[in-house]
Amino acid sequence: MPTTSAPDEHLRLEGIGVSFGAVNVIPSLDLSVRKGEMVAFLGPSGCGKTTTLRIIAGLNKPSRGSIMVGGRDITHLPIHDRDMGMVFQSYALFPHMDVSHNVQFGLQMRNVPAREAEKRAAQALEMVQLGHLAHRKPKELSGGQQQRVALARALVIEPSILLLDEPLSNLDAKLRDEMRVQIRALQQQSGITAVFVTHDQVEALSMCDRVVVMRGGHVEQFGTPTEVYERPATAFVANFVGRTNRLKGALTAEGILTGAGQQLRSATRLPAGAVDILVRPHRIRLQETGEADNKVQGTVSTITFIGDLVQYGVSVGGEEIVVEEATRRGRSPLAAGDSVTLGWSAEDTLIYPAGEK
Amino acid sequence: MEIHKTSWPMRILVFVLFVYLLAPVILVFPLSFSGDQVLRFPPSFWSTRWYSALFANSQMLKAFWTSLSLAAIVTVLSIVIAVPAAWVMTRLKFTGRDLLFNLFTAPLLLPTIVLGLAILIVFASFGLLATMQGLVFAHLVVTLPYALRVLAVSLSTQDRACEEAARTLGAKPLTVFFRVTVPMLTPGIVAAAALCFLVSFDEVVITLFLTGPRISTLPVELYNYVYNQADPLVAAASALLILLTLAVIMIVERAMGLGKAFVK
Ligand SMILES: Nc1ncnc2c1ncn2[C@@H]1O[C@H](COP(=O)(O)OP(=O)(O)O)[C@@H](O)[C@H]1O
Ligand SMILES: [Mg+2]
Repeated sequence: MPTTSAPDEHLRLEGIGVSFGAVNVIPSLDLSVRKGEMVAFLGPSGCGKTTTLRIIAGLNKPSRGSIMVGGRDITHLPIHDRDMGMVFQSYALFPHMDVSHNVQFGLQMRNVPAREAEKRAAQALEMVQLGHLAHRKPKELSGGQQQRVALARALVIEPSILLLDEPLSNLDAKLRDEMRVQIRALQQQSGITAVFVTHDQVEALSMCDRVVVMRGGHVEQFGTPTEVYERPATAFVANFVGRTNRLKGALTAEGILTGAGQQLRSATRLPAGAVDILVRPHRIRLQETGEADNKVQGTVSTITFIGDLVQYGVSVGGEEIVVEEATRRGRSPLAAGDSVTLGWSAEDTLIYPAGEK
Repeated sequence: MEIHKTSWPMRILVFVLFVYLLAPVILVFPLSFSGDQVLRFPPSFWSTRWYSALFANSQMLKAFWTSLSLAAIVTVLSIVIAVPAAWVMTRLKFTGRDLLFNLFTAPLLLPTIVLGLAILIVFASFGLLATMQGLVFAHLVVTLPYALRVLAVSLSTQDRACEEAARTLGAKPLTVFFRVTVPMLTPGIVAAAALCFLVSFDEVVITLFLTGPRISTLPVELYNYVYNQADPLVAAASALLILLTLAVIMIVERAMGLGKAFVK
């Protein structure tokens, strides 16, 4: 995907390629990140997110291509001169130093006088609400606290880019929600440019200004969370970001025809041929009474209660369509075997050339 | 380790094995308090005369100090050489690395008598026989492979992310080495040092070729002593050596305990 050089561009990857031996892990990657924005690298495990992040930090050397920061080519700059703040998945705190000295380390490397380094470390720890634990050793902290120390250590040097590699993956669900909010708030306060690696779409969509959806070493789509969710560029993106139903069909002059013979309408334009039809479960109305672009008859086959949601499996002409509705108290009008009329709009009907995974 | 669930025959077998292995070591203590003129068990009466005799034996004392300073020098040199060497072996990628590593640690597999003869031949032409330098060089040949092995294992299991974090924070490679790698390696260094110290202090075969009337080590002196007479003085010396060894092992144990805490 070619990128045009935005005036406020801060980080730029040009034709970055990585091969480990004979394995071409990243064929060619282009990317442009604006100053002050937080960008997520989102993709399944093994798609090259960490490798790309490490290339920005200098920890991996690209086999091809160049990296620019603020208009300057840093492809061959040594790691210690790159001025990047990195938060590792394992936190990588120095076990032999207390929390305060962990945070001071980067300042000492910048020859900040001892007094000032101590003061700035204290401020950074205050910022992540850990001022009171400055003299603990890392192993005496909980996972969430270690995470915040790692964040303070990366931020205190006021790096040119903050790099985060799945920083929340080792935390429990509740702490993860808190840290999501906290990391985003810190990033916005400091106005720092940040790259956030994750395989969790919720993290990517909720925390970041833009999302790079990656797959097999290349960029499937680069856009805002809304764009990526509402207008997925490929069937893979639609599947990976949020849940979808997938039906087989054909696009003809008359419109879209599903395998079961229903006629559907989509807002997407494609050349005629075999297509995959994708519809998100919660965009389908279960008992359509009014007008709808797309209307099909079906029978409820399964009902699954998941707390916030009720998931209905509806069989439509031999295919199973999943429909999700928000739970409402004291109302469960449907039972397995009931006939229903499903309805959804043309905008919510995404079509892609068939065969795309 | 649920001993109470082990069957009776197994427990008896383990007990017999322990007795077999430890009996000589434990017997040394009563023997050392013998009042007899010759080694005999049980002693006909008790005394501390062989401890007095040991401390009055100036040749033994001199050999003890030689062994102690030799082991100390060899230990320090082994660590100073082996830490960077192990770093190169585990952190750098170059062709022939495995070959080089195996070559460096090969003396572990050679019969010491062969090593001793080889060293004797080489050192004779350099005038290193019966000198402290000669002993130091010879012991290094034996201790370095141990140190290299222990430190290479510690280094290869160390979390590399800490070194990488230090690099991203602006530390140059040498700074990372001294401020992150080496401090994190402390338990490994203590273990390697203790091992080198004990190996050097205990070394007889190679040392026999290199000692003489001018300079000798405690194990060699004890060997010569037993060769000539069989009185309980060697039992007293052995008892003290066992205590010294235990002390060193306890230091390691503490360091390794800390080591476990490091890894969390
Ligand atoms: N040092 C390496 N040597 C060989 N292959 C590697 C190395 N590092 C990563 N890879 C491979 O590169 C691919 C991308 O890895 P990575 O960037 O860690 O993925 P992600 O972070 O998206 O899960 C994977 O297939 C992985 O096996
Ligand atoms: Mg990864």
